[in-house]
Amino acid sequence: MKPMRHAVTVLALAVWLVLPAAAQEAALKLPPYKKLRLKNGLTLLLMEHREVPLVSFSLSLKAGSVADPAGKEGLASVTAGLIRKGTKTRTADQFSAELDFIGGLFFAGAAADSSSASAEFMKKDTAKGLDLLSDMLLNPTFPPDEVAKLLKQRLDGIRAAKDQAQAVIGTYYNAYLYGNHPYGRPGGGDEKSLAAITREDVVQFHQTWYTPGNTILAVVGDFSTAEMEKLLTDKFGGWPAKASPALNVPDPAPVQGKRLLLVDKPDSTQTYYRIGNIGITRTNPDRVWIDVVNTLFGGRFTSMLSTELRIKSGLTYGAGSFFDERRVRGPFAVASYTQNATTEKILDMTLDVLKRLHEKGFSEEELKSAKAYIKGQFPPQIETCDQLARLIAELEFFGLDEREITTLYAKIDGLTVADARRIIQQYFPLENLVFVLIGKASEVEPVVKKYAPKLDTKSISQPGF
Amino acid sequence: MKSISRRVCLGVAVLLCLAGAQAARAQNIEVKTHTLKNGMKILVQEDSSIPNVALYVFYRIGARNERPGTTGISHFFEHMMFNGAKKYGPGEFDRVMEGSGGANNAYTSKDVTVYQNWFPRSTLELIFDLEADRIRDLSFDPKVIESERGVVASERRSSVDNSNFGILYEQLWATAFTAHPYQWPVVGWMVDIQNWKMDDLKRHFQMGYSPSNATMVVSGDVKFPEIVALAQKYIEPIPSHDPPPQVTTREPEQMGERRVVVKKFAQLPILMIGYHVPKTAYADYYALQMLQTILFSGQSSRMYQRIVDKDQLALSISGGSSFAFDPTLFMISSQPKAGVDPAAVEKAVYEELDKMKKDGPNDEELQKAKNILLANFFRQMKTISGKSNAIGSYEVFFGDYRKLFTAADDYSKVNKEDVRRVAQEYFTEKNRTVATLVPDSPPEKK
Repeated sequence: MKPMRHAVTVLALAVWLVLPAAAQEAALKLPPYKKLRLKNGLTLLLMEHREVPLVSFSLSLKAGSVADPAGKEGLASVTAGLIRKGTKTRTADQFSAELDFIGGLFFAGAAADSSSASAEFMKKDTAKGLDLLSDMLLNPTFPPDEVAKLLKQRLDGIRAAKDQAQAVIGTYYNAYLYGNHPYGRPGGGDEKSLAAITREDVVQFHQTWYTPGNTILAVVGDFSTAEMEKLLTDKFGGWPAKASPALNVPDPAPVQGKRLLLVDKPDSTQTYYRIGNIGITRTNPDRVWIDVVNTLFGGRFTSMLSTELRIKSGLTYGAGSFFDERRVRGPFAVASYTQNATTEKILDMTLDVLKRLHEKGFSEEELKSAKAYIKGQFPPQIETCDQLARLIAELEFFGLDEREITTLYAKIDGLTVADARRIIQQYFPLENLVFVLIGKASEVEPVVKKYAPKLDTKSISQPGF
Repeated sequence: MKSISRRVCLGVAVLLCLAGAQAARAQNIEVKTHTLKNGMKILVQEDSSIPNVALYVFYRIGARNERPGTTGISHFFEHMMFNGAKKYGPGEFDRVMEGSGGANNAYTSKDVTVYQNWFPRSTLELIFDLEADRIRDLSFDPKVIESERGVVASERRSSVDNSNFGILYEQLWATAFTAHPYQWPVVGWMVDIQNWKMDDLKRHFQMGYSPSNATMVVSGDVKFPEIVALAQKYIEPIPSHDPPPQVTTREPEQMGERRVVVKKFAQLPILMIGYHVPKTAYADYYALQMLQTILFSGQSSRMYQRIVDKDQLALSISGGSSFAFDPTLFMISSQPKAGVDPAAVEKAVYEELDKMKKDGPNDEELQKAKNILLANFFRQMKTISGKSNAIGSYEVFFGDYRKLFTAADDYSKVNKEDVRRVAQEYFTEKNRTVATLVPDSPPEKK
C-alpha cells in the first residue's frame, strides 16, 4: 500500500487556509435525554429530536437467541415475529390494518444477546402507535394458526436463504467457529429446530423473558418529554412487575490451529469465504482503537484488503473485515469472494495481507488517515431519530452511557503507532484461523485442502448449518 | 459489518417511492438553485443539523444510452470515474477523500449515473477539486481498465449469476423489451464485460459527461453562496459539449403475453411478472403509485393478505416500478413456498388484479395509501443523503425538484376511479411478461 502522503498534507493545508472557521473536531455531543425506571422495572429513555414530524421507538429485551433451548434454535426469533400476530383485543389482520393505516413501521427480531423491536410513527399518530406497540408487547395471544403459519414460513425461509451463499455464510461461519457455545447456534433456527418448536415453547419464552425488568425502551423524536413520560407511564405502568432469570453466557475459547469447512453449493460460480477467529465484546476498552486499526485493515474502500483483493488485482467486487461486538466475545472475520478459478489465489493473498498487517503495522500517516475517516463519517450515524433511539438503547443495554460518544474523538486521537502494533498482536489472529467457504466443491476442494490439516465438508442441501 | 462493496448497478431494487406534503414546507426544506454558464444546474438545501454534507452529481446517462456489444459500459465507466484523472492519479481519489474524512459511492441505473460524496463540511473545497478533476481530465490507464474489468465481472457473478432473483430479473426485462435498450442489464452481459475496449470508454465519456448533462445537489451544513462560489471556481471553467443523442427507440405495443422459464439448481422457485407502464413523468404516475401502495405496502396490503397470509402460497410478494425516462415495467416478484407451483401464485395475483379492475379500492385503502406515502416522504427527509437523492431524482426524472414537495397535493387528487382505471389500462394479459425460475437438479459432478 502506498498512501499519498504528499497529497494529503498539501490538501489538508489548503482546506485549512480556505475555511479557517470550520472547527471540524468540535467535541461530539449527544442531544440530552432523560432516563427513568418505572416501578415495575421498565427502563425508559426519552430524547427530543425535532427535524421531521416522526417519533421512533427502540425496544431492547435482555434475551436473544442465546436463550433458545437446545434443539429449539430460532425460538427467540419466532417469538419476536409472532408478537404482532394477535392480542387479547386485536387479530393479526386488525393489527396490520391499524399499523399500515397510519403509515407506521414496525419490526421485531432477535439477535444473539437481545430481542428487539422498533417502531416509527408520524407525530400526529403517536398515541395510536403507542397503543399498538404496548398492546402487542403486553397482550400477545399467539393464536395457534398464526404460530403454525409463521413456523412454516421460517422453514421455507431457510431454504430460500440457502439459495444465496451470501445470505447464509455468516450462520455457517459462526456455527463452525463457536461449536457448542451458544453463539454457534443459528439464531433463525434450522430445518430441524423449527420443526421442533411448539406454541407452548413460544408462550413460555414470552412469559419468561418479556418482562418489564428485562426491557429498555428508548423513544426519540418530535415530542415533549413530559407528555411522552405520561403517555408511556399510562401504557406500560400496568405491566406486572416480574424478573427474568439471569442469563450467563460463558466466554468462548478461541480456536487453536487451523480448521476449514467447505460447504458444497454445486451451482456456484464463485467461492464465498470467511476467515477469522473469536473477536471482542462490545465493552472491550480497546474497542475504539480496534476500530481504527480495522478501518485500515479491512473497514473501508482503501483498506489493505480492498486494495489488494479488489483495486490492484480485480479478483473480487468486495473484500473487508469486521468485528461483531457482543456481550461476550463475538466473531471476527475477513470476508470476500471470487470466481472458482481464482479461489486459491485470493485465499493466498488474504493470508498474505494478514501477515503483512502483523509484520508492518501502520505508520503515523496511515493512522491519521483512518482517524479522520472515522471522525468524518460518524455524525451521519447519529443523524436520525431511529438511529439515536437504537444507539441510546444499545448503550443502556451494555451498561454504558453518553460518554461513549462524547469521548469518542479523544479516544481516537489517543492511538499511537505503538498502540496500533499492540492492538494487531492482541486482536487480529494470524496462526489460529477458522476458514469457512461456500462454493462448488468439485472444483475448489483440491486447492483448499492445503489451508488446514483437516478439511470438513457439508452439502448446502443438508439440513442445519 | 461496514459496507465495503461499492459502486452498484441498480438491479432488482426498486428506486424510490416518495410522496411529498404541504407539511414539508413547514419543515423549512428550502432548495436554492443556480445554473452555471456551462449548463450544470446546482441545487442546494441548507441543513446544519450535523456538520456534514451530502453532495450528489446526477448524470443523465445510463444503460439506455448503450448499444449491443458494449452493454454495461455506463456502469463500467462509473467504476472508472474513481480510477484516476490528471491531478489525482489512480487510487488517489479514494485515498485523499477517505484520508480527509469523506466517503463516496456511486450507482448506475438504466437511465442515470449518480455519484455520491459524504464528508465533513471542512473538506468541501477538496471535494469540488476532486469532482472537477475527474469530470475535466479523466485518464484511462490500460492496466487499471483490466483490473477493474475483473471487479465488474465479479460484481456480475454476485448480483446476477449467483443470485436466482438476479438471473430471473435479467431474463424478464430481456423478454419484455424487444426494441428499447431497457432490454439489457445495467451491469452488462458477461461477454460484453469481457470485450469492452478503451475506445468504448472514451466515447462514453465524450457522450455523457458534459457538465450540461449533469445536475449537482448539495444538502447539509453549507451556505448557498459558498457552494455557488466553489462551483464557479472549479466546475464552471469546464467546457460543455453536445448532450448524448436522444434515445428515439420506443418499445412497440406488446401484442400478447410473453413467458420465459429459467431452469437451474435451486431449493425454491421464483415468479416475476412485468407490465409495461408509462415513463415516470406522465400523469398516471400518481395513480400507479397509489395502486402499488394498496396492493403491496405492508402486511395489510391486498397481495400480502391473499398470497402470503390467507392462501399461504408464497414467502414474499412485492411490486413496483423505478423512476425511468422512458416507458418502463411495473414488476411483481414473489418467492413461492416449497412445493407450491408458481402457477398457483400467478393465478392468485391475477384474481387480485381483476378485483381491483372491477371494483377499485375502497375509501379506507385510498386514505391509507396517502398516509403511507406521506410517512415515507418524511423518512426520506430524515438524512442529508436522503434529501440529496430525492431532490436530485425529482429534478432529473420529473424535470422539476419541486414535484417532490407537491407530491402530497398530487396524491390527494387521485380518486378511487383513477386507481381502478390504471389497473384496467395497464394490468392486462396482453401487456404482461411472466418469468419463472424452476428448480432443477444440481449440475453434474466432475
